[in-house]
Amino acid sequence: MTERSARPELGPPQSPMLEIGASVPRADAWAKVIGAEHYAIDHYPLGLLWAGARRAGLAHARLRGVAIEAARALPGVVAVLTAADVPGTNRQGIVHKDQPVLVEDHVRHWGDPVALVLAEDRETLRRALALVEPDLEPLPGVFDIAAALRPDAPTLHPGGNVLLEAEISTGDTASAWDVCAAIVEGTFDLPFQDHGFLETQNGVAQVEPDGILTLTVSTQAPFRDRFEIAHALGLDPLRIRVISPYLGGAFGGKDGATVQCLLALAALHVGGRPVKMVWEREECMIAGYKRHAARLCYRLGALTNGTLHALDCQLYFDTGAYAHLGGEVMELGLEHAGGPYRIAHTRMRGWAVYTNNPIGGAMRGFGVCQASFGFERMLDRLAAALGRDRLDLRRQNALRRGDRNAAGVTLVHSTGLAACLETLSRHPLWLERDRWPDQAPPLKRRGVGVAAVFNAMGYGRGLPDAAIAKIALTPDGRFRVDSAVSDMGQGNASAFAQIAGQILCQRADAIELVQPDTARALPSGSSSAGRTTYSYGNALVRACEALRAKLLHRASLLLMVDEPSGLALLPGRVRHLPTGRDLPLARLAAMLPETDRVSIEQFVMPVSQEVPDTGKAFVIGFPHVLFAYAAHLAYVEIDTLTGKLEVCRYLAVTDGGRVLNPRNFDQQIQGAVAQGIGYALCEELRLQEGRILNPDFARYLLPTSLDVPDIASLAVATVEDTGPFGMKGIGEVGINGPLPAIASAVEAALGRCPSQSPLEPRRLVAEVAAPSASDDAPR
Amino acid sequence: MTQVLIPTSLPELWSALREQPSAHLYAGGTDLLVKRRAGLLDPAILIHLGRIDALRGVTADDDGLRLGAGCTHRELLEDAQVRAVLPVLTQALQTLGSPPIRAMGTLGGNLCTASPAGDTLPPLYVLDAEVELWSAGGERRLLLRDFILGPGRTALQSGEILAAVRVRRAPHGSVQHFEKVGLRNALACSLVSLAALVQTNPAGRVKHAAFAWGSVGPTVIRVPEVERHLIGQPLSLSVLSEAAVLARRAVAPIDDLRADADYRRQVAGNLLLRLAETGSAPER
Repeated sequence: MTERSARPELGPPQSPMLEIGASVPRADAWAKVIGAEHYAIDHYPLGLLWAGARRAGLAHARLRGVAIEAARALPGVVAVLTAADVPGTNRQGIVHKDQPVLVEDHVRHWGDPVALVLAEDRETLRRALALVEPDLEPLPGVFDIAAALRPDAPTLHPGGNVLLEAEISTGDTASAWDVCAAIVEGTFDLPFQDHGFLETQNGVAQVEPDGILTLTVSTQAPFRDRFEIAHALGLDPLRIRVISPYLGGAFGGKDGATVQCLLALAALHVGGRPVKMVWEREECMIAGYKRHAARLCYRLGALTNGTLHALDCQLYFDTGAYAHLGGEVMELGLEHAGGPYRIAHTRMRGWAVYTNNPIGGAMRGFGVCQASFGFERMLDRLAAALGRDRLDLRRQNALRRGDRNAAGVTLVHSTGLAACLETLSRHPLWLERDRWPDQAPPLKRRGVGVAAVFNAMGYGRGLPDAAIAKIALTPDGRFRVDSAVSDMGQGNASAFAQIAGQILCQRADAIELVQPDTARALPSGSSSAGRTTYSYGNALVRACEALRAKLLHRASLLLMVDEPSGLALLPGRVRHLPTGRDLPLARLAAMLPETDRVSIEQFVMPVSQEVPDTGKAFVIGFPHVLFAYAAHLAYVEIDTLTGKLEVCRYLAVTDGGRVLNPRNFDQQIQGAVAQGIGYALCEELRLQEGRILNPDFARYLLPTSLDVPDIASLAVATVEDTGPFGMKGIGEVGINGPLPAIASAVEAALGRCPSQSPLEPRRLVAEVAAPSASDDAPR
Repeated sequence: MTQVLIPTSLPELWSALREQPSAHLYAGGTDLLVKRRAGLLDPAILIHLGRIDALRGVTADDDGLRLGAGCTHRELLEDAQVRAVLPVLTQALQTLGSPPIRAMGTLGGNLCTASPAGDTLPPLYVLDAEVELWSAGGERRLLLRDFILGPGRTALQSGEILAAVRVRRAPHGSVQHFEKVGLRNALACSLVSLAALVQTNPAGRVKHAAFAWGSVGPTVIRVPEVERHLIGQPLSLSVLSEAAVLARRAVAPIDDLRADADYRRQVAGNLLLRLAETGSAPER
């Protein structure tokens, strides 16, 4: 005790002025650090029941029936539900409604739910789930892209195994190859990646006495969830309320229904009792969405002077058992398949294919992460073929504002790739790159790699990317922001506080942040696509400006001044500057009725005004007009005896427009790079006939703090005219760089690089052939 | 419901073992809890060994060190005598699990789990460590390599516990070396590991060599022909490359999720090359 009391008292940091551009502490930091934050998983309403899903345990089968009697007879079991108990369509899915809440007769992947069990406690639930017996007739399965596309392949869905096939083309690739001085080719394979969020999918649901179905759930899309649930279960979406507390991570994996429909179904059957569902880690891995496995076939040609001239590529995405956002992921992959470069002639074709593998879905980098490996490997090979410096070739071809990108879209918004590459080229890590391999210890090889990447923001054309912000002056003279877009850890809620503080001139403790609640906030889309701070922030800027103008007008009445021009908002008060008189905000609030203390404004993201004569298969989502850009650099060291690769130094230079909070900016980049290093080095879902062999964190390996180097982050702060305070979203772009940058470094070190990721020791040791000169150096 | 008995002295322990002969013994619990959650083990009665002082601590005499089986990995890692006398064990402990696991897990637990991937085993094999086995009836000693019978199997008899590990001092001037290959730098199960204890004469020729490989067979593997091959030879890349061929022939790895047998076999040999006195190019 004495030791403890000797320490300075811990407490939340002093409330700072919230200003744009300052590294003010995150609004959620203190509550999270002391463990006070209530995530969805921390909600334990009184009298709750536990719900759990019985998973099929076979990747492809006919479900002839489900024996539930034994489970139902177990004391403590309240209900066992099957597809027959599902009202409504029994179909969920963000765009394509092809995924059953509970399987009727066709099991399409290992984790398909066949029954829902409700029990008084978790142990009873576990035992009851084991007593549910699905009667399965195994069917021949489809376990990779090539197998799915065979003419005689078993079909998984009525429309066949191709969810979506599309093409984006520009120029004339038929004749473009003839003038190319160098043509390079490659085929690349990438595995499924898990999101690896800490808080697994979970929530609680309850039918309230007034008949409203209320869910508190770990979700990225509370407003859309209402419609998903309503469609699947035949309910009125406006009689469903969804509350989305801070999420313990998501990265795309909680975009779309996870527990929502199952929880809602459970709640409908228990007479108003609350129901809780928490997926354990293994269930999270087996039933959750994944980054799509992909195969990329590339052919890229350049003119003698290094100008990229022609691209032909085919991108295949394994969307697993259900569509989720497979078509949209493929769209993004295709739209980015040419890289952040000018290429006059392109033919980019894509397929999203059903298999009996786990469900491919949204994940940070959303199709672009995969394509980045392809186009950046091509750039390195082209540089080698032309005898050009890798960075120099990228700078020569980098997209600039006013160019048309490889999808034929004119870039009218901020385009800072050239500045990113320029900044990288002047960095000591690049200038001193030759010293790195020269100083390799014995039995090690070293290399330096670079990558240029980009990532679109927003939903793209055809699906309005809108947000409606709401801010109110509270009776005690503070401001409450009703956020409508979830904060899954990326820090958008803190950015909202900073925006409000900047415009209303308030300290952090005067801004109250309410996390999304469909009963309080207004529909603003999902927390995804790098659009969260941009879209909601833009709406909030408008709402704050309108509120400021209104409050100053109202204050002029109380202060008896003729006009509000001499009035200024200050922390906690309004001041009449000519006379120095202050009006506390609490006093101003007391004068105003609640309806007058609120400000609500909407923003809709701009879309392309061009109508490219390509990409016709994409009804929504093509094209995009706003992009974040980045240039990455990696120093790697490879052990020739073991094939073990270390990423020793890393630099990420990012164009995300103006930076609202430098610390949050750097942390988001560093987090993305760390996740990207995992994708590059060790993360891989191991599958055997659709069954995940490593559904836990002992066998599915995420990088630890010892596997990730210090990551230098530099911002190229272009100004995005349409963004709040000139910003663009950077949630995704950072994850696209590590795999290609590390692969580039591996090739520099070994003279070649595996075309299959992750770059595990077993793959690299095979590439270590004749020792290089550096092995001769004395120890 | 699991019953956990927590004896605080040896007499209490012996009586607990007498009354509950089927009880499962544990110390740090780092393996037990994983197996329990996976449904591989669900003992009705547990006996916790972590509160018995007689099982703790490191003591030194002229011959060597006696390591209490109840010492946590962190305690051993921080022990000045262990660092000075058994650097090969210290090196291995640095790669074991993560700080929380090293804080909870014990040497005795790592040995009794008897996994071929146990990180403390290869160093103790090359040091020809002995184990002290205690029971109510007395004490017996076994060489560690005779104590470990197979994956998860030891020579422990009913009513018997692993009390300590005895390690003799290595000859002065010996090189002690450990390397573990994992798929990441912490919290990684070894794909293959190598512990080495090599003594050379003033001319740089090998007088004595001991090597033990982890994760390439049902138990940790010593390969006498490799050790013999090096006697009288310099630790050059060419000599070590020859030894590597013998090592690859002797190990018996399996394929699993983490690595295939070919990789393990290849690398088991390669790891010997790290011992080269000078870094000339490895020969293939």
